[in-house]
Amino acid sequence: MKHILAATALGTALATSFTATSALAADPSAVVTHYADLAAAKYADSLTAAQSLRAAVDALIAAPSPETLAAARSAWIDARVPYQQTEVFRFGNAIVDDWEGKVNAWPLDEGLIDYVDAGSAQNEENSLAVLNIIATPKFTLSGTEIDATAITPALISETLHEADGIEANVASGYHAIEFLLWGQDLNGTGPGAGDRPYTDFVQGDACTGGNCDRRVAYLKAATDLLISDLEFMAAAWAEGGEGRATVTADPQAGLLAMLTGMGSLSYGEQAGERMKLGLMLNDPEEEHDCFSDNTHNSHYYDGLGIRNVYLGSYTRLDGTELTGPSLSDLVAAQDAAVDTQLKAELDASVAALMAIKQAAESGFAYDQMLEAGNKEGEALIMGAVDALVTQTASIERAVTTLGLTEIDFEGSDSLDNPSAVFQ
Amino acid sequence: MVKHLAFVFALLAAPVHADVADVVADHILPGYAAFAQATADLDRQAAASCTADTLRPAFQTAFDAWMAVQHLHLGPVEEAGRGLAIAFWPDPKGLGRKAQLGLMQGDPAKLTPEAFADQSVAARGLTGLERLLYPTTPWPADPCPLIRATTADLARLADEVQGGWTSGFADQLLTAGAQGNTRYLSKAEARQALFTVLVTGLAQLHDQRLGRPMGTFDRPTPERAEARASGRSLRNVLLSLQALRALATSLTEPAPQTQAALGHAIALAQNLDDPVFAGIATPTGRLKVEVLQQAVEQARQAALAEIGPALGVGIGFNALDGD
Repeated sequence: MKHILAATALGTALATSFTATSALAADPSAVVTHYADLAAAKYADSLTAAQSLRAAVDALIAAPSPETLAAARSAWIDARVPYQQTEVFRFGNAIVDDWEGKVNAWPLDEGLIDYVDAGSAQNEENSLAVLNIIATPKFTLSGTEIDATAITPALISETLHEADGIEANVASGYHAIEFLLWGQDLNGTGPGAGDRPYTDFVQGDACTGGNCDRRVAYLKAATDLLISDLEFMAAAWAEGGEGRATVTADPQAGLLAMLTGMGSLSYGEQAGERMKLGLMLNDPEEEHDCFSDNTHNSHYYDGLGIRNVYLGSYTRLDGTELTGPSLSDLVAAQDAAVDTQLKAELDASVAALMAIKQAAESGFAYDQMLEAGNKEGEALIMGAVDALVTQTASIERAVTTLGLTEIDFEGSDSLDNPSAVFQ
Repeated sequence: MVKHLAFVFALLAAPVHADVADVVADHILPGYAAFAQATADLDRQAAASCTADTLRPAFQTAFDAWMAVQHLHLGPVEEAGRGLAIAFWPDPKGLGRKAQLGLMQGDPAKLTPEAFADQSVAARGLTGLERLLYPTTPWPADPCPLIRATTADLARLADEVQGGWTSGFADQLLTAGAQGNTRYLSKAEARQALFTVLVTGLAQLHDQRLGRPMGTFDRPTPERAEARASGRSLRNVLLSLQALRALATSLTEPAPQTQAALGHAIALAQNLDDPVFAGIATPTGRLKVEVLQQAVEQARQAALAEIGPALGVGIGFNALDGD
């Protein structure tokens, strides 16, 4: 989870050469400032969309019906659009990486939160995988009695989330809310998403699934918590925020953070863990938005976010186009061929992810693509995986072209103690 | 002055520093050839008899051969999910056993080579075979057909990986920077790819092979060690360290700090009398594994500080970058 960056003296020398050779070209300082602007806009949009989700959740709670449940689900899907475009900020920015587990942790042992189909939630490494907090107001956690009578944002974030130090105990964030709105998808690699009935939120005798009062309390608390977490991150990228301060303080390190985010999301996370692994396991539980069958959108907007950072552009929720000095400008000034190739490869990955999105929207759901022996699904997913892997090599080239040296993309020690590397 | 000149000559006379070509010729190609041979032997033996006792030695040999190359996360092994299928681990949700139960009791047509190649990677490869040859709970049906399907699949995968290297990928690495090579646009890119493999291999040893059984001090988790049923947990660590040392040696010489750190870690592993890391559950046993884990981290730091600059490259992106 840790991502480390360091810029070398070489980078500083390069900054000087920019000023000397190309007064009109973007300079690193303007590029990292615009990057912070993009982050600020995306997190602000994520917050706005989450507030709409909260309004829809409140309406569902006030009057549960097929319509209010559908509206809440639709608001959740809309809320994913700006958020997924922020995932490219994760790797490379410690403030985001340390925080993102609260809002987007996945995969989760959903049996921690609510009822699940018998035998479906096995995890031999997690004794809480079928705890069902909604049905269990009091329980023992690591030898401590927990009183969960009142389900509050604080209980979720401080006690339940990653309970017992296990990452699969995801109690908060988008996917916890997703599970509460959709329920488990029991269709395997067949068509259909989770199908939780609206009556799971009805109070009184018509309640299904048991403990509807606690389910409603959980949904409300988890939605409130998501909003306060997004408020924190939107502030971190606004003027005076810590995320902005970190990338702008040292523009060379900021540039490396930008490229680290692009490369780590492209390769290890998106192409590897989220797409190829799920396909090779033929496991619908391994799809990212597994309850809602919204995975095609999550993947697509992740890919779009990677390209956004390189091009310095983002289309806001209100349609405003945000553009400005970009990594692309900097790379092109040093080596036009690297820039041209990387731009073409980013376009190719976005197109490949769009092909998955379009197939899913035409009725060929992402979990169906994962079915063993489904050649059409395999070709769609591997097309995107290959495109993401290909662009990773060019992102490495951009790092080299800009004279940035990545000490360590993954380990943790050099972050805690940068001088240790040079001992 | 004479002394100074002698020093210069000594430098000139020293063997030319190792590089990509040495890694390919001395480390990668022989490693994959041995793995292909070992899995072919295993498959032949499984065809003759599939009792667990008979097959275990060939299984152990094949696993040994895999450990000599498993860190090479580039080229044919990264295509078509071959690496994942050869050894899928960890598997915290027990997907492998579940899928194997389904295959054992389901349609035998799924065990034909073509159909089996499409099954979940969790059910296949060395990890799948280990569960069949060293069962911790009895299987409800005759595992023989699944054993044979798995050994055949493994031999096919090993053959494809070897073939992929000899009929194309080795050339791509070796002709890095030449016109027409679209994968590696400069020699530095090829060096960077192998350097990334080395550093990532050490990180994976630290975080997974050692880190998973370590758990936390309050909750050690030795049951999560790799290849526990076949008694290979420590052996895999040792063989992996030795393979990474071989890679480092072929990639760059001299690299005294890295070699010393790797040598130290290897000596620790050789002297650790704890084949499946069961000792992690005790304070003294845990300390020993922790010391080994620290030695691996020191080797990684040494490689970063010494080999990267010697090769003129930084580390590239790797598969562990995700969360």
